[in-house]
Amino acid sequence: MNPVQRFFRRYIFSTIGILMLFFVVNLLLVLSVMIAGYMSGTDNGLSVREVSGHMTEQAGTWTADDTALSLLREHNAWAMLLDEGGTVVWEQNLPDELPRSYTSAEVASFSRWYLQDYPVKVWSREDGALMVVGFAPGTLVKYYFSMEMPSLMMFLVGAIVVFVFNLLLMVFLMLRNTRRVEKAMSPILRSIQSLSQGSYQPLDERGELAEINAGLNRAGDYLMQKDNTRAEWIRGVSHDIRTPLSMVLGYASELEDNTGLPPEARQQAGMIRRQGERLKALVDDLNLTTKLEYALQPIRREAVDLVEIGRQAVSEILNSGLPEQYELEFSEEHPSHAARIEGDAVLLRRMLDNLLRNSIVHNPQGCRISVTVGAEEGRCACTVADDGIGIDAARLAALNQETDISSTQGSEHGLGLKLVRQIVKAHGGMAAFQQVQPHGLEVSITFPIHLPG
Amino acid sequence: MIEHKILLVDDDRDLLEMLCSIFRRAGYTDLVTASSGPEALRVWREQQPALIVLDVMMPGMDGFEVLREIRRTSRVPVLMLTARGEAEDRIEGLEIGADDYLPKPFLPKELLLRVQAILHRAYPEPNRTVKLDAATVDLEKAEVWKNGERLPLTAKELQLFQKLYENAGRIVTTGILCETICGAFWQGYESTLSTHIRHLREKIEANPSKPVSLVTAKGLGYRLNVKGAKS
Repeated sequence: MNPVQRFFRRYIFSTIGILMLFFVVNLLLVLSVMIAGYMSGTDNGLSVREVSGHMTEQAGTWTADDTALSLLREHNAWAMLLDEGGTVVWEQNLPDELPRSYTSAEVASFSRWYLQDYPVKVWSREDGALMVVGFAPGTLVKYYFSMEMPSLMMFLVGAIVVFVFNLLLMVFLMLRNTRRVEKAMSPILRSIQSLSQGSYQPLDERGELAEINAGLNRAGDYLMQKDNTRAEWIRGVSHDIRTPLSMVLGYASELEDNTGLPPEARQQAGMIRRQGERLKALVDDLNLTTKLEYALQPIRREAVDLVEIGRQAVSEILNSGLPEQYELEFSEEHPSHAARIEGDAVLLRRMLDNLLRNSIVHNPQGCRISVTVGAEEGRCACTVADDGIGIDAARLAALNQETDISSTQGSEHGLGLKLVRQIVKAHGGMAAFQQVQPHGLEVSITFPIHLPG
Repeated sequence: MIEHKILLVDDDRDLLEMLCSIFRRAGYTDLVTASSGPEALRVWREQQPALIVLDVMMPGMDGFEVLREIRRTSRVPVLMLTARGEAEDRIEGLEIGADDYLPKPFLPKELLLRVQAILHRAYPEPNRTVKLDAATVDLEKAEVWKNGERLPLTAKELQLFQKLYENAGRIVTTGILCETICGAFWQGYESTLSTHIRHLREKIEANPSKPVSLVTAKGLGYRLNVKGAKS
């Protein structure tokens, strides 16, 4: 997943999180309000059952004790007790306008609603009498609720459906919104990202963010132009150097091989030829490093045998006449085991050439160079080691750092080894430079068998 | 000593002069030159050279176009020179039908080696015999004369010997030799190669277990040492 997608994924998750939090907080608030309401209700409400509990009958006469009376007074309520026939057998503060006898229909009515605007509470006692407590009109709201079971279920289910529907709608709208923002922003973010990697695809200059896109396009054009100019310049210069250098190398070789000249002159011609060859290598390296850096040349993916590439690189050097102070040997770590990887044969050969040339050029006193190639556990390894003067710790650290080593440019180890690193990187491999005991340089390179990406 | 006529083509007159000097010094006496595409085609038609050294980058008609035109009617060997040194050039050149390709700047030695190899392949000498330390090999008849005894070479042995002879004095890698006898998919044929090498040694060496003509380059391949001119 790229960083842009990651960013929007995280954005969506955080929004869903906010939504959840919103619901939980609201649920808690509603619950606490309900609890608070309920608590305030029981605090000053009057329980008919309690009043009824303080009533006693003695020989057909009903009396209420002081507790019951004080409860009624406290709540500014009146009370009456109806026997099974609906006649008032006891009363307390019963308003005069109310009848003293009720039919069962009237009882049924007021037990659910009001008794002539007085809100009442009833309690049917175990002995068959009905305790009724009434309050001043407007102090208590009574409602009667009755509903058929299927309807009730429908309402309940409906409520849940409405809730879920709302939730889904909200999530949907949020996702849609995010998607829109993502669609508008993604190309811009991607462009910025690719710009940081040195390539640029122009953006569509329409829509709400047209101005930003246009600005980014201008920046991209500018950078690309600068890059291209540089690459073109290097290409042009290296091309222009090739023909004159051919002549330098050609005539220097001619003079070097001319037996009619004094030995000293031939040695000097040899010097010119060798320096010319270094220039040639430099031009080639410069060209290739530019290509790899600006991805002007895609690397070829073909099955190549690293062992055979190693053999050819070593043979080429031996065939072209290696001075006798050098010793060069090639070995396979696991003989008769193919070390096949996916890669670009020309580049891999160049990598080995550069490593070998590096060892030779930096050890003019001579050294022993060994090249080892082998494959195991899905990786291919290649080691070039010499017992020469090696390189100092600071440069070694710089070479091993993953960062660009262009800072070592200008030094003799610069470009050739930078190119080695670039080629290794382009093949998804790793290069490690290390000191050999007691002296010398060892470069270990490992490649995955299959090219990544 | 070398009677092949060679056509050298480059738009840079100084370079052309140097090419002439290199070839003359190496013993090639019959040289013709051209400094543009159309001129190269004209000289090629009139002189019928044995080999053409052709520069790619020329104003007007470039080397690829010249080669395309030549390849419509002729198989004359062509070595391309380029100042671009880029892989695409190499591939394009070889696809059109160049026999070899050499990027500038080059060493005279490299150029001569390649030209020799192309000429060897394109114009096999009649009654070609190769003198070795203990034997003489007749490439035409595919046979070896050792101690007055005639030993025939198999087809594969001849192919192998020819490859080694083209690169006499130089190491030829195992991979290239395997490719010579088994084709592009040579992986895993190393043991076949060593069998052929053993048979070849039995025929050309005085003591096959201590070879002096067909020597092993440890881990790399083999090298053929020839008596006389080739080195």
